[in-house]
Amino acid sequence: MALHEIRVINHPWIPDPKGQDILYEIQHALGLKNITRVTTARVYRLEGINEKEAYFLAQNLLAEDIYQSYRLNEPVITNATAVVEVAYKPGVMNPGTASLMKAARDLGINNLIACDSSWEYGFFGPGVTTADINLILRRLLVNETVEQVVTSRSSVVGRRSSGEKQTTSRPTGWKPVLPEAYPTLGRQDACSTLGRQDAYPTRPLTLIIHGLAQKTKIIPLRAMNDQELMALSQDKLFLDLEEMQRIKDYFISLDRDPTDCEVETIAQTWSEHCIHKTFKAKLLVNGREKMPLLKRLQQATQKINHPLVRSAFVDNSGVFEFYQGWAICGKVETHNAPSAIEPYGGAMTGSGGVFRDIMGTGQGAKVIASTDIFCFAPPDYPAENIPDGCLHPHYLLRRVVAGVRDYGNRMGIPTNNGSVHFHPDFRAKPTVIVGAYGILPVERCLKGKPRSGDLAIAIGGRTGRDGIHGATFSSGEMTARTIEVNASAVQIGHPIEEKRVADAILAAGKQGLIRAITDCGAGGFSSALGEMGAETGVKIYLERAPLKYPGLAPWEIWVSESQERMVLAIDPEKADRVLAICQALNVEAIIMGEFNDDHRLLVSYYDEVVCSLDMDFLHHGWPQKARRAAWQAPVFAEPDLPPPANWEEIYLQVMAHGNVCSKEPIIRMYDHGVQGTCALPPFNGANGDAPNDAVILTPLLGQPCAVIISHGLNPVLNRINPYYGSLWVMAEAVANAVAVGANPQELMLIDNFIWPVPEENFLGALDLSVDACVDFTQATGMPFISGKDSLSSTYRGKDSLVIHIPPVLCISAFGRLPDAAKTVSADFKKEHSQIVLVGCRNPMEMAGSVYYDLAGYIGNNLPKIDLTILLKVYQAIHQAIAEGEVLACHDISEGGPAAALAEMCFGGSLGAVINIPAEEKAENFLFNETAGCFLVELDQKINPSGLFAGVPHKAIGYTVSQKEIAAYRQEKLLFALPLAQLKEAWQRPMKEVFGGSITA
Amino acid sequence: MPPKVCILRTDGTNCDSETFYAFNKAGGESELVHINQLRQGEVKLAAYHILVIPGGFSYGDDISAGKVLAVELISFLKEQLAEFLRAQKPILGICNGFQVLVRTGLLPAGKLGSINAALTANESGRFECRWIKIKIEKNNCIFTQGLDNKIIYLPVAHGEGNFYTDPATLNNIEANGQVTFRYVDKNDRPTQTYPDNPNGSLNAIAGLSDPSGYILGLMPHPERFTEIFHYPNWRRNNLREPQGLAIFRNAIQYAKNS
Repeated sequence: MALHEIRVINHPWIPDPKGQDILYEIQHALGLKNITRVTTARVYRLEGINEKEAYFLAQNLLAEDIYQSYRLNEPVITNATAVVEVAYKPGVMNPGTASLMKAARDLGINNLIACDSSWEYGFFGPGVTTADINLILRRLLVNETVEQVVTSRSSVVGRRSSGEKQTTSRPTGWKPVLPEAYPTLGRQDACSTLGRQDAYPTRPLTLIIHGLAQKTKIIPLRAMNDQELMALSQDKLFLDLEEMQRIKDYFISLDRDPTDCEVETIAQTWSEHCIHKTFKAKLLVNGREKMPLLKRLQQATQKINHPLVRSAFVDNSGVFEFYQGWAICGKVETHNAPSAIEPYGGAMTGSGGVFRDIMGTGQGAKVIASTDIFCFAPPDYPAENIPDGCLHPHYLLRRVVAGVRDYGNRMGIPTNNGSVHFHPDFRAKPTVIVGAYGILPVERCLKGKPRSGDLAIAIGGRTGRDGIHGATFSSGEMTARTIEVNASAVQIGHPIEEKRVADAILAAGKQGLIRAITDCGAGGFSSALGEMGAETGVKIYLERAPLKYPGLAPWEIWVSESQERMVLAIDPEKADRVLAICQALNVEAIIMGEFNDDHRLLVSYYDEVVCSLDMDFLHHGWPQKARRAAWQAPVFAEPDLPPPANWEEIYLQVMAHGNVCSKEPIIRMYDHGVQGTCALPPFNGANGDAPNDAVILTPLLGQPCAVIISHGLNPVLNRINPYYGSLWVMAEAVANAVAVGANPQELMLIDNFIWPVPEENFLGALDLSVDACVDFTQATGMPFISGKDSLSSTYRGKDSLVIHIPPVLCISAFGRLPDAAKTVSADFKKEHSQIVLVGCRNPMEMAGSVYYDLAGYIGNNLPKIDLTILLKVYQAIHQAIAEGEVLACHDISEGGPAAALAEMCFGGSLGAVINIPAEEKAENFLFNETAGCFLVELDQKINPSGLFAGVPHKAIGYTVSQKEIAAYRQEKLLFALPLAQLKEAWQRPMKEVFGGSITA
Repeated sequence: MPPKVCILRTDGTNCDSETFYAFNKAGGESELVHINQLRQGEVKLAAYHILVIPGGFSYGDDISAGKVLAVELISFLKEQLAEFLRAQKPILGICNGFQVLVRTGLLPAGKLGSINAALTANESGRFECRWIKIKIEKNNCIFTQGLDNKIIYLPVAHGEGNFYTDPATLNNIEANGQVTFRYVDKNDRPTQTYPDNPNGSLNAIAGLSDPSGYILGLMPHPERFTEIFHYPNWRRNNLREPQGLAIFRNAIQYAKNS
């Protein structure tokens, strides 16, 4: 079959921003100064068409003469020192190919049977070495999990692989892709650097993936002894012995052995990820029995009995009542492991997954916002200290951001709240948290239950071998079956597919056609259909599932985690309308089976029954665990630091700290205005570069009623003390919302515990963290309505190296307000205003602060937040904002009041004069990070003691037109720093990471 | 009867709801129309008074921004579009819609199928989401009548908004007065400097019309400034009117009068 290559490049006089961006990375992140220019070209491979058709597509689709030129089957970057093509590996879905096929059809080219696209890079510069190129490939351009370097080398030297048909005569201009000057950049060097024997494959002969489906196998489970059971589990299932024995007993009682599909189904359903065994386990804490963690959180919410809550912990996301017949839902997820391996695809599919949770809430919701919260090692962390098999944080950060950007932006979901935290202990695994929020009618905010006779309809993307990891089946079968498909491929998300699915769900929901809906996440169809039919029973015909390529075994189809798929339970009377809606929106929809009242999970593949399990056993058969927990308080050195010798220097260092510095270059890449709802963006102020604490959205266009979304996270404090560390996080999350005007009585919370593997000590820490959550909710009346735990933040490397990633609690807060006009931003509004510090803090409590970190300490004396006072402070701030008395408000967090003050000054383009109380150490006053405290700007005529009666507050200074921050103590000038200098320090770190060829 | 506005959608369109709202607020009657409906003949363009291609990532912006939808329009809606233009009905392309119009040839020359300009990757190499200032030029575009020389704030949110064409075409565009919007600096002067000019567009072009003035394309999002709340600094500055609305009102007014 003919395979044509079309290469498209910008005319030489047109800028190549992609090339310039890579050049910046090469020069700044890798420090290679000998490369002076990078050129990029797009490569398209088209299979099945003739040369004339290839030219036609090049001219009418792939290249535009006005700024581009193209070559058919010959190189387009001709005079570079080195040229390298990077393509997705076969079997990794390239989201762009479907559009290419469609456009070709629209142009009347109907015999294009497969296509692919990739990028080619030309490197220019004197003295460029093979090692340089390999470093660039390894660190910047190739992620081996999903990508590979492709060369046309065999063609270059005139050799032809067997089976390749010469489809075109090579034009005379065809030159070596890797020029003679680089004879060493051959297969072997590159292979050894990339760590694979078969790296640098030649260009593909065909793009079509072949494969024969493997047959369903019977697993002789009944005859297995304990050792054999564990051997089976370790390879494939990740269940413990007690669980394996339970499965064995079940099949003994049935008098038969299970199929591979059944064993996989049980393993998926009983996995920590799906069933949250640790959160449901009986706990023995320091020898005393305590209620399971999940039950504590759920009971706390029940006890509050908040009148706005519509559903908590039962649906794909938590739901509360908004205004005018609408409800708001929220869900926050982690996607750490995939993002650690393939940050771009991992972040994309993380976003896609949490969006589907919203889309699958109630009878279908519209996604209105996305949040992103990351923890990485510092981007300048030495490469040699990164553990084996882990990616460098500089690369991780840039690629995770790109993934979140491309998914949210393309789907049209504003990403407008988030944060990035840096700590060296994330070097082995980043924390990548993505949240999503949605809106849906109250009358359809609860799922129906599938009824007997309802149809199970799968809509959206096709099923492939995605997300089925190598560990889940033997490698022998893999090679025998399909060499070409990389079974462990992390997926690249397809946001346009998901947008189509979202549109279809909204249309079907609007017509009242959806009985129940859920997304295909972990466990794929097995979890989605198994859960949906749990109380009825369901019969599924697996052969109906549309596949990306042939060759999938039934169990692979059943547990595949291919993205962008949803499952609906539909009344058979309404099925035609649902299918018609899907067809009209280019969404593939298939009736996979029907619900019944057999209380069984029955799955067939053509004539063969591949799974027949009792729903009761599947969902309630797992043995509840009993776990021991005991937290040992660590002891960190408590510093006794002298006052800083140079106040200006320490202030600038605090502003430039990774956990304080501006993240604007990241945020500018996220679309925060799409949907036309944003009433308080992440940045605003006189120069548009000052941060706000929360986002405010008005999701009903033309109506002033608002949703407020914020979050809190701290990567250090939980290590010192998980109880107070967790209180801090909650206080911070809520303070961020209250600082813009949220009503503390109408805020909901979402918990995310990202914890090391819960051995006794870490489980003890988790127990304390959950206690803190419960205490906080009981004291404030704010319920948890959704949550998730991810208990695998432990890295085990060679030589028994163990790295515990810091235990992280992320709290998201969201609520409602009747009028967006009664909110404030953080930028100072005018000169001569009073600056008031509101809130209760003990400035001595400096442990875990940025100030300590800069001195090389952690400390033990962390902020211990008083919940009774905290609630009063929240109420006072909310009241003052609602009454219109507050000009600006900013929450105090990392970097303390000093950082908050500087940010308010940036926003107002105004300076400030502050007076540090004589009784306090100036450095503690300036840099203490107690959460739940605020800086408030008040008109000079307002009496703070009237406004904030009954809560701790102190007028600390006033705004001035002179653009500097001046601090006095006992009428003595401590320091005066120009705003420009502070801002430069605060903006520099992320500009350096994200600065391309141009920076503001 | 309020003029009927066709908000054209396809896979990846994502600014349709706010565009729908903007035209309704301006006095129109918006309708979301999927391109499949037009291709299958369920709906005819002739039933509408205004056509809008809203923002988004049509077909993922695969190949290049707006390309696949542009190909689809040229292949299947050539006649209907020509008829729409003969009837002197306005066409608006916002952001991705502007990219589509340029890739069909409707902008800048008003000739379907002959492409003589491009919106290429931003010079910064990045997707940019920020509020910018633009100046409305005096010309014959029906969307900007009465707004000559006004300076307004609008948000941009795109990765490929860098307007490029050859010198002869650029001269023509300028000579014909087809430029409707230019990015300006703090002194309200057209600028090539980032980030006031967020993408590096030639002659600071943020939007332009065809010679007839019925077709308008622009990278900034007027539909995202139809409420005072939308402006990031509404708490600092006293703006009386959301500055994106006038463009929609003009189109509705024109449709009512014709």
